[in-house]
Amino acid sequence: MVFTVDRELQSLPPEIAAKLSHLLKNLPSDAREPIVNHHFISKSFFEALGFLSNECIPDFKTGNGGDAVDYALRKNTEDDSFLHTKTSPYILVELKGRDINLEYGKGSYKTTVRQLKRYFLAPKCKSVQWGIITNSKHIQLFRKHGKTIFPATPCLEINPDNIVEITYQIRKKIEDTSRALTVAVYNNKGGVGKTTTVINLAATLTRQKKKVLVIDFDPNQHDLTDSLDIQPGEYKFYNCLKDKQNLFDIKQAICPYTKTFKGGITLSFDIIPVDDQLAKIGEDQIRQEISPHSLRKKLESLKYEYDYILIDAPPNWRYYSISAIYAADVVLIPIKPNDINSLRNTAITIQQYIPEIQQSRQEKTQGLEWGAIALPIFFNGGNITDAVKVRVKNAIAKIINQAKLENNFDLTSYFFSRYIPGKNTSIFEMPNSAYIANSAFDSIPASYRYKVAYDYYSQLAKEYFIQ
Amino acid sequence: MSNLSDVGNLMYLDLEIIESDIVPNTSEYLINATAQELSSTDGRNWIPLIVKEVAEDSYQVIGNNFIYSVAEAAGLEKVWCIIADNSETTAKLSRMLAREEVPRINLSTASTEDIKSALEYLIEQPNTPLKTIDILKATNRIDEAPRQYWQDLNPIINLKCGITRGKKVKALEKVFYLTPEAMPDEIKDPKVLNTLTTTELKKLAKKRGRSGYSKLTKAKLVNLLSQ
Ligand SMILES: Nc1ncnc2c1ncn2[C@@H]1O[C@H](COP(=O)(O)OP(=O)(O)OP(=O)(O)O)[C@@H](O)[C@H]1O
Ligand SMILES: [Mg+2]
Repeated sequence: MVFTVDRELQSLPPEIAAKLSHLLKNLPSDAREPIVNHHFISKSFFEALGFLSNECIPDFKTGNGGDAVDYALRKNTEDDSFLHTKTSPYILVELKGRDINLEYGKGSYKTTVRQLKRYFLAPKCKSVQWGIITNSKHIQLFRKHGKTIFPATPCLEINPDNIVEITYQIRKKIEDTSRALTVAVYNNKGGVGKTTTVINLAATLTRQKKKVLVIDFDPNQHDLTDSLDIQPGEYKFYNCLKDKQNLFDIKQAICPYTKTFKGGITLSFDIIPVDDQLAKIGEDQIRQEISPHSLRKKLESLKYEYDYILIDAPPNWRYYSISAIYAADVVLIPIKPNDINSLRNTAITIQQYIPEIQQSRQEKTQGLEWGAIALPIFFNGGNITDAVKVRVKNAIAKIINQAKLENNFDLTSYFFSRYIPGKNTSIFEMPNSAYIANSAFDSIPASYRYKVAYDYYSQLAKEYFIQ
Repeated sequence: MSNLSDVGNLMYLDLEIIESDIVPNTSEYLINATAQELSSTDGRNWIPLIVKEVAEDSYQVIGNNFIYSVAEAAGLEKVWCIIADNSETTAKLSRMLAREEVPRINLSTASTEDIKSALEYLIEQPNTPLKTIDILKATNRIDEAPRQYWQDLNPIINLKCGITRGKKVKALEKVFYLTPEAMPDEIKDPKVLNTLTTTELKKLAKKRGRSGYSKLTKAKLVNLLSQ
């Protein structure tokens, strides 16, 4: 469902802004959930977000057992009133009272986020794009793209002085929902299957009728460009990246990769291949002309054109990978399971590199954007025996404990996507497959050519992206 | 519950008046060794039996049969029991909670994740005929098949995912059941049509008022009906 966007809106209407701030000021400091709801959220906050009262359903049943989320919101259309059809919710809101501390990192914050994620993935919430948690002292906006969930803002402290601006910024985001999810595939270890993953995911998502753009952002190897046998056109990606005045349109750097199959069906996804110029210029010169945020800025104009933008990053922590992760919403990390070093490297990526990027994104956006988060890792291409599996799990447990002790950083959910205390430590395993390995020489993605390879990557897509 | 009912209560009952008709397939060793442990302490079963009242002063075990066997082997005269209600759903749920019965999921509507974890469970069972199944391949093919219309699990055989006729497909019944949707008469998807038998396809052709279909092969019928 698509809603018209009021792009003219420069700030909240004055009377709505005044009411919002006034009602928040009048809330008692110990206001419980019903008070917060009655005297602030339903009275003013939803209106400020642009929703009429008949566009908000309290206690919305998610379809997962008896679960109900505090509010579901969706604009009415001419022939569909949300209150009546109760279908296609757009935003979920989980409310708390001021007695529940929603400060980032607190136990009750984590519980609330987990609660929201459960609602997000429930059967009747497939259409949901956004989620908000708030207790009227803190607020955080989350984005849901298919199955992928990530924070769209940090957990922000609110008060009568900043509530108008923050609500306006949240409203701007939800009225301007990006069609694309940008995924960087990264591991600072080489040869773990990054490029293979990008190519096959792109082909699989294309088979599932998604529109996909792939960016080969590893100019020194240009494996992706080579392995699909792409001949870059005249237009230079380098020129586009260094253009800070918006003179070049990135669309000119795009090459389609089209295959026609036996039955006459044609599938196509888009690629921005490597510009050899980039490989020739040293990184020092690149940094004089191109900023780490340049790629992200250039991709802005494509976020309504694609469902997925996949970036293949090189195995190091220098300009190209930094830019790729800066541009991404989420980072997908393939790991070789029998390589303990790559596990350790990954822990460093998640604890150190990615937070650096987040910090920079937050600074550049006045604290309004969170920056890329790591998805849970997956094992790529190692057919591991049970004995090795036990050893790997022990090594991971050690790494998790160490991170907790030394940095107070909880890595658990980055290794075990389905973790419940004491239990599920499963990790997705992409099998080691001759079909996948051999396709590297065929200039056609394995998941186009072999049904089994399609099955594997379709399962990978469903693990992370497709609901 | 009214004051006249024992449902929900913890009661100390004579083993004599409790029946247990399902024989748990647990090893003699586990029963006897646990019984010895129980006898060498104060003889109290801290995890209770789950029973229902079948008549006044007559009970039947609906969950934790293992504990019944152990109590018997230890020569206990009385055991601690929780009295459950008489419904079949309670009995079934109790067996599942006690891990005596494997719960099944609805394959007509199950999510890809649920299918995957069910297959993983089956593969981990000792002596499973499914040992060599490729989980990702099987999960994905089952997930993307038109399973909402399946009347039974046999269409899985045609998915070429290593689950063949006989023991293998039979093993899936342990975790899956189906609540098939009626197939809409106007269906054109070849993937769905292919799951029908030749006879069923001919019936469909008749329903749609087609003619000249009676001698067609299955492939041609599918082709005809998907136009
Ligand atoms: N699931 C798999 N099964 C079999 N072979 C695989 C699989 N995934 C990757 N490979 C093979 O492993 C090799 C390395 O893969 P790939 O080039 O994708 O890694 P990379 O992480 O992009 O490497 P680099 O760090 O050099 O960019 C390739 O030969 C590829 O065919
Ligand atoms: Mg590569």
